[in-house]
Amino acid sequence: MKVAVDDDRCRGHGVCWSTCPEVFDLSDEDYAVVRTPEVPAEYEEAVRTAADRCPEHAITVS
Amino acid sequence: MNDFEAMNYFKDAALVADPYPYLDALRGKCPVLREPHHDVVMVTGYDEASEVLHDSEHFSSCTSVTGPFPGFPVPLEGDDISELIALHRHELPMSDQLPTFDPPTHTDHRALLMRLITPKRLKENEASMWGLADRMLDSFLAGGEGEFISGYAGPFSLLVIADLLGVPEEDQQEFSEGLQHRPHDRAGVGGTQEELAHSPLGYLYDRFSAYVEDRRREPREDVITGLATAAFPDGSIPEVGDAARVAVNLFAAGQETTVRLLGAALKVLAEQPEIQAQLRGDRTLIPNFIEEALRVESPIKGDFRLSRVPVSVGGVDLPAGTTVMVLNSAANRDPRQFADPATFDPTRANARRHMAFGRGIHTCPGAPLARAEAVVSIQRLLDRTSDIRISERAHGPEGARRYQYVPTYILRGLTELNLEFTPVEGSA
Repeated sequence: MKVAVDDDRCRGHGVCWSTCPEVFDLSDEDYAVVRTPEVPAEYEEAVRTAADRCPEHAITVS
Repeated sequence: MNDFEAMNYFKDAALVADPYPYLDALRGKCPVLREPHHDVVMVTGYDEASEVLHDSEHFSSCTSVTGPFPGFPVPLEGDDISELIALHRHELPMSDQLPTFDPPTHTDHRALLMRLITPKRLKENEASMWGLADRMLDSFLAGGEGEFISGYAGPFSLLVIADLLGVPEEDQQEFSEGLQHRPHDRAGVGGTQEELAHSPLGYLYDRFSAYVEDRRREPREDVITGLATAAFPDGSIPEVGDAARVAVNLFAAGQETTVRLLGAALKVLAEQPEIQAQLRGDRTLIPNFIEEALRVESPIKGDFRLSRVPVSVGGVDLPAGTTVMVLNSAANRDPRQFADPATFDPTRANARRHMAFGRGIHTCPGAPLARAEAVVSIQRLLDRTSDIRISERAHGPEGARRYQYVPTYILRGLTELNLEFTPVEGSA
């Protein structure tokens, strides 16, 4: 599973980082960044939850 | 505690002064608990609040700002009230405002708003905040003392939003006057005393409708032209009123709340000199300090949802037609999420997990704006003073302070914060 954050949509709410800090981080400017675009199997569910809960629909999993 | 059960969250002045012991008592009993006075289910737990806010399928936001007042126009009977909501939602107060929308209308209108507060635009706006803050501080700091809410926080956040929306400079003075002269100490949204007007922001609405019409006729290279010509995701062009309302929303939602955040943050700095010293010594702590201020004194205490169908929250079954109040400010003090929750700790590792900006599809679109305004303001206030203190003359001596909070069940914030400071020589 792969995950990406759309920089044009992200507004730095940090919900993904709250949900799965192992995969998402916040940049110095407080926007979301992906630490590991190739999601480790044990975090797949958390990443799906994060994508589902992103207020800006900025996260895509493929 | 029987005391707390007798208290009426929506009317009791004591709960305006300090709502937290009451909210803690509710959570202690059950994080999803029906209060007896207005039949509202109070959600005070972190996970439970998150559950409701993420569930826009089973909960409608049609009463998000008003809850039980005035209540729904018709009796809510049956196991699915979606049709009743569709038929009557336009009769509810604030029904033309984004926070009360549900998908799919919400999705389209929010997209319109997000086109206005893009990361690029926010960056430009943040750049101009430094100059705006310094201009405000030139006069605010000059006397060595002042009332922070009306002397800095109010006008600063107003000018920031005017700048974000690209209000032409020649009109900004008129804007300040038009908005400052509204009766702002009356409670407005969520007042514990007075009734709600249908749409209290007529001045802004008229002003922006005129801008939108003007820019559609004669486009310019400015932000308002962007607003005037923005299309819905399906390509259709919004009516003038819809476009204007996006701007009005920003003013309405962004001003009151950011002002209260700034007030809460400055009160902490002035009341707790050790925290002030900590931030003076290490400015990189400012962002997390602001998150902690948002957590401990969430400017929006909570808002409402209405269940469309029978639904279970935190294991508690709620029938269709239940008015639920999601109390962000209580969720942010849930000890299951935040250890020692009443303590203000600027270095708290998980402070940013607070829900002061909400969760789910209605999450505050202005969150990055509020954060930037707070960072810039505190940074410059610390740079330009060597000490910030509470005015004992206005608020009383240490140990016997007097503070007044806005008299609403929705908002949390000081009406006044009188400060004294030692300006840094040559900082102006």
